[in-house]
Amino acid sequence: MEPVTYEESSAAFKARIDAGEKIEAGEWMPDEYRQSALKFIEMHANSEVMGALPEGTWIPRAPTLKRKLSLTAKVQDEVGHGQILYRVAEDLGKTREQMFDDLVNGRTKFHNVFHYPAESWGDVAYIGWLIDGAALVNQKALLDASYMPYVRAMRRICPEESLHLRHGEELVLELVSGTKEQRALFQDAVNRWWQPTMHFFGPPSKKKDMLLYWGIKTRTNESLRQEFFSTYVPKLWDLGITVPDDRLAWNEETGEWDWAEPDWDEFWKVVRGDGPMTHIRLAQRKTVWDTHAWVREVFAGMPEAA
Amino acid sequence: MPVWDVFGKRKPDDEFQWVGGIKAPDVDMALVLARETHFRHKEGVAYAVRRRGDTDAALHVGKYGGDELGGLTDRSYRRQEAYAGVGARQKRVSREFARAGVRIDRSRPPAAGSPRARVPDA
Repeated sequence: MEPVTYEESSAAFKARIDAGEKIEAGEWMPDEYRQSALKFIEMHANSEVMGALPEGTWIPRAPTLKRKLSLTAKVQDEVGHGQILYRVAEDLGKTREQMFDDLVNGRTKFHNVFHYPAESWGDVAYIGWLIDGAALVNQKALLDASYMPYVRAMRRICPEESLHLRHGEELVLELVSGTKEQRALFQDAVNRWWQPTMHFFGPPSKKKDMLLYWGIKTRTNESLRQEFFSTYVPKLWDLGITVPDDRLAWNEETGEWDWAEPDWDEFWKVVRGDGPMTHIRLAQRKTVWDTHAWVREVFAGMPEAA
Repeated sequence: MPVWDVFGKRKPDDEFQWVGGIKAPDVDMALVLARETHFRHKEGVAYAVRRRGDTDAALHVGKYGGDELGGLTDRSYRRQEAYAGVGARQKRVSREFARAGVRIDRSRPPAAGSPRARVPDA
């Protein structure tokens, strides 16, 4: 029998997702699905655009022309990801202008790691390898999400993130096999960035996580964090780099990593929009948004004379 | 502003695949933006756009082919080929550090590929 009520349509929609079907833009979807997908993808887009800033500040200070070119290309990629993702989010019912306006005025959020300063070239190496590594763990899991336009965007974005990972890994290898000072530069970056990286995966997922329920996300925060540990911690230890978590070790019995819970108060403070660089970065974006309004107006066609 | 769906071919014999979308005021700008957002890493040999909703209309195919897509100057830093050998270098440096006693020996999962290796629950 064809579903007639909202509840029946919602149940039929959920059954499609559970059966592995993909949802296209423009199809009927429950409000809850639309809102959850929009909020998630909008935050992803915001994070790409804001994530370009910490590394972007190092373009003029890159140590060689080769590094400057590759870092510039990477930063361009991150902004390009934002552009692609805002397009995907727009089809869920909110304009790009509104999303950007909400971002620069602090009404919506971006990922916690991009609220921190990039203090040294060691930070550029860390971000390139381990923040992009953490992002790739997350994004690969999204290749099987239920919203097909998002999956298409991930198919575009994941290969670029793999490239960034190589770029970051090369920077790290250069530093750790260089002078004592270079090694110290990277170790210092790990010491400062480890906690934000743990925050990046979020607190353990709730029992009923709407994003998991609707297949917009496919794996729990904890399972992604464990995969990150397995992929990167042995590599860091191989390079003689310590991680600021004394408990961190593989537990043979449970078949999982033991780790120390980070300071979640700090996480929530950043989520509320009060991180060390939140206000400065938003002000940077807002300034450009306001002073470049004319570009958007030209693109949209000249306004009619009053 | 109109939405344009973007299509691409990975290889010359492929059919055009739907890869994403962009917004642009006209077809010329749509092709410029499609090329820049979806093909600047040499992701394909052909690209095209079609205004969303014009499902019966023909695709507007871009004029650049595989040799030109992604730029004519050396932009290998935008692609994996610029980083060939990084994985091998990582292994080599790790071996050297193990010999030099720099490696940190703490409990870690079995190496990937070994029978005891396990993937975290999906």
